[in-house]
Amino acid sequence: MQATVLQRMDNTARRLVPFGVTLVLMLFAMTPTYIPGLSHITPMYALMAVYFWSIYRPDLLGYGSTFAIGVLEDLLSGTPLGSGALILLLCQRVVFHQQKFFNNKPFGIIWLAFALVAFGAGLLRWICVGLVAPSGFTPIGQMGTSYLMSVALYPLVGWFLAKAHMKLLSQN
Amino acid sequence: MRAPTGQISRLGTLKTLLQRFAFLSLIGITFALMLIGKADTILVERARDAVSDAVTPVLRLMSSPATVVADFVNNLRELAAIREENAELREANGRLLQWQSVAQRLESENKSLRDLTALVPEPSATFVTARVVADTGGAFAQSILITAGQSAGVRKGQVVMTGEGLVGRVMQAGLYSSRVLLITDINSRIPVLVGEAGNRAILAGDNGMRPRLLFLGNKTAAAPGDKVVTSGDAEAFPPGLPIGQVASVEEGAVEVEPFVVRDKIQSVRVVDYGLTGILAQQAPPAK
Repeated sequence: MQATVLQRMDNTARRLVPFGVTLVLMLFAMTPTYIPGLSHITPMYALMAVYFWSIYRPDLLGYGSTFAIGVLEDLLSGTPLGSGALILLLCQRVVFHQQKFFNNKPFGIIWLAFALVAFGAGLLRWICVGLVAPSGFTPIGQMGTSYLMSVALYPLVGWFLAKAHMKLLSQN
Repeated sequence: MRAPTGQISRLGTLKTLLQRFAFLSLIGITFALMLIGKADTILVERARDAVSDAVTPVLRLMSSPATVVADFVNNLRELAAIREENAELREANGRLLQWQSVAQRLESENKSLRDLTALVPEPSATFVTARVVADTGGAFAQSILITAGQSAGVRKGQVVMTGEGLVGRVMQAGLYSSRVLLITDINSRIPVLVGEAGNRAILAGDNGMRPRLLFLGNKTAAAPGDKVVTSGDAEAFPPGLPIGQVASVEEGAVEVEPFVVRDKIQSVRVVDYGLTGILAQQAPPAK
């Protein structure tokens, strides 16, 4: 009886891994890195994680969790409320919709697709924030830099996420 | 527990429908949130305060490894340059001692003049030191989260500094954490004086590394190397706080390099210059 309770707890904990990892990555994006020149540009870490889990574990990261992470990010980073959640949800929707396309694709293709999805997400967020924020549109160059950083960092973050995913599978 | 195949497929369709419904309603909610954020800022501000108060301990924990690494790297760098620095410090010390005697002389002179004119002294500034736990710099907002809030006496609108110069202003004060709007944020507008001539201008952020000077009388009024300090107009900042120096003067744009190096801010001082008066402190924050 004890084993089953433990097993159940273990299972629940496992199911929470994608949400937890995405949350941690989102918070990580905000912690000061003290790397010269980098504090002005934050890559879209949360988007990378949502994209990754939507491809590989659509069963474990639903729209609700994604929404919660997006809203939390907006609240913490001082960006217009709802704008971050919107693009995360749309990114997830696109990936879910193209599930067949993403099936068993080599990493290069996944990376390229991320570059496309992130481009759309970045542009849409820039428009949303520009329309909603009292200060109006921000210089688009900074959004561009953040986008390029995100694409460049995706292999590294993806590798880390894949490790987490392997760990999750191996003990299933 | 096992359901027949027909039931499974029906369950599957139901699940897809539910998912689609969830997606559409959540998208609806995000638009509603954007509208609420535009209309009712107080409600959203309270939510932001509550969330940052709750998450600050986690962020503090997460930021500590980076702080340790940064300290270590700094130590190494300092060790390498210790000899040169020592020589520089010796020289600086000599110069400062001279200045000290000048300052002492001026202080006594000042005091005697004050006595002579029976001047009412300005209220002295009090400050709180806080750690920076999150740097939410991005393309859309430039702010930092610090570990001091209303419980430590931090109020909206107070000035945030480091030893080098001005960092920004408190934009939201939660109970245990506060958000500081940096001088580089696109919403930041600070009345300043430029150069020795003290030409008036407005320092405006654009989310980039260097804020710009707006409304400077004429472009020749600023030259690279000119110091930029707060002017004290509009009473948001006391006069004379160091901000930075003019980095480049190009057609239509005068850029200012802040004295505060953004990547190195580990802790800041929230200074209360009593600009809102003593009574206003007990009243709820304005706006």
